[in-house]
Amino acid sequence: MNTAIRNFGAATVVDITGHIDLGSSPALRKAMLECLKGTDRMAANLAGVKYIDSSGIASLLEVLKEARKSKKKFVLFGLTAGVREVLQLTRLTGVFEIFESEDGALGSALSHGSSCP
Amino acid sequence: MNRAEVLIRFLVPSDPCYLSVVRATVGELAAVCGLREQECRAMTLAVDEAMANVIRHAYRGDPAHAIEVECEGRADRLNFTLLDQGAAPDMARLQPHPLDDWSLSGRGTHLIRSAMDEVHYERVPRGNQLRLSKLLPAPARAGKKEGL
Repeated sequence: MNTAIRNFGAATVVDITGHIDLGSSPALRKAMLECLKGTDRMAANLAGVKYIDSSGIASLLEVLKEARKSKKKFVLFGLTAGVREVLQLTRLTGVFEIFESEDGALGSALSHGSSCP
Repeated sequence: MNRAEVLIRFLVPSDPCYLSVVRATVGELAAVCGLREQECRAMTLAVDEAMANVIRHAYRGDPAHAIEVECEGRADRLNFTLLDQGAAPDMARLQPHPLDDWSLSGRGTHLIRSAMDEVHYERVPRGNQLRLSKLLPAPARAGKKEGL
């Protein structure tokens, strides 16, 4: 699993690639929480995620919790079929704000007046 | 061995870096047995979650132990059996339970039960044994690849 960070003014995109499992989810959690500290609006690009398990979902959920606590915005985009299925099975599709494209995610992340869903 | 049956055995360390090895095999076996792509992903996820539970709970994160994993493809079902010598699981955790939107734990067992038709835990003389079974629908059985 790898992460890369791109900044777009007030928003940050985290590109995540590879397998997110018990071995890699702690690093993902740490990288995203660290990134969240330096931005008000963060979007996770999951298009390159080949696999995610419940520990990875828990990491994303923890980032969302922290974002809400800090009155920041955290959204997801580029979900592969596998990632979407895991979110559906764990009934979390309604908890996260999910976008098809980076433009949509950035548009949401950059919008004012709706910092948290 | 009947040509419609296959048995694959792993003895892997309780180290998360080996999870991807078992995942690859489970996914491929499910595909060879005729399951659809989405079902193959669900099988892979269920076995992976079960192994992760062993690493986290039975062995408390210590990577120096062993997990035996048996993947069995039969004419009418897929069986996955995990055996470990760690602490016995909390039976309440293995039972179906409602999901809490914001809880950071408890989703693994839910994913296993969602994917599998049978989930059976047993304390056996050699340790903890978890058997996961997926019944193969008739079209999947008929669609098995030749040559097995």
